[in-house]
Amino acid sequence: MRQAGTYSGISGRNNGPHSLPLARIKRIMKGSSDEVKMISGEAPIVFSKACELFIEEITKRSWAMTVQGKRRTLHKEDVASAVVATDVFDFLVNIVDSDHHPSSFVNSEKSTDIVILPET
Amino acid sequence: MVDENEKLLPIANVGRIMKQILPPSAKISKQAKETMQECSSEFISFVTGEASDKCHKENRKTVNGDDICWALSSLGFDNYAEGMGRYLHKYREFERERANQNKANSGFATGEERDEQIAHSPTAFELRVLEKGGSSSLTKPS
Repeated sequence: MRQAGTYSGISGRNNGPHSLPLARIKRIMKGSSDEVKMISGEAPIVFSKACELFIEEITKRSWAMTVQGKRRTLHKEDVASAVVATDVFDFLVNIVDSDHHPSSFVNSEKSTDIVILPET
Repeated sequence: MVDENEKLLPIANVGRIMKQILPPSAKISKQAKETMQECSSEFISFVTGEASDKCHKENRKTVNGDDICWALSSLGFDNYAEGMGRYLHKYREFERERANQNKANSGFATGEERDEQIAHSPTAFELRVLEKGGSSSLTKPS
């Protein structure tokens, strides 16, 4: 499951087995906002575990949708259904929207854009 | 295209984590994995933003593991936050033991990067390790 020694830590040392690359996590963290200036060495390590739990949770919920549809292949739509059905994943609704373009999610702020349509 | 991938976790890693939690016969579409990559990056950004806000309000420059745990809890991921607290504790213990080992071997852990707040002296570093339980902050200026 975990790959020991495959990923070097931010300081270039082996911080132990982590299933996600720490340097990449750090880069994503920095890209989240200009406010993020310094990140301690342990923060990406916490995230590598948190992301694992996050991915596991969405996957489990998505799979429930797959099974409901009597299928054996987990599709993007199952992920979308799981996101919509779970309050805590509200921040992901734009991501799983089928019309969404990947390039814009990087700069997305915490609050989702609310479009108010004029009444006709 | 390379730039986009830098903002995402590798699809192989994401796919592997997904596979682990599913029954052996389950299949995962490539699009589902890609969606999960994007969701993961958004998760990291979302939580980091919250943690960073807190640091900013408290006039701290460095986002640390405790801030991430706090942000997870604050955003509704209480169940992760609990597990993270323990994971972080274990990691700090691990780091402390390794720092002690390095110290024993070389007199001073020359390979370690030091927290910006620590005075540049071996004594201060040792004290910090003993006081704070080994949370060595490895920071790089952006």
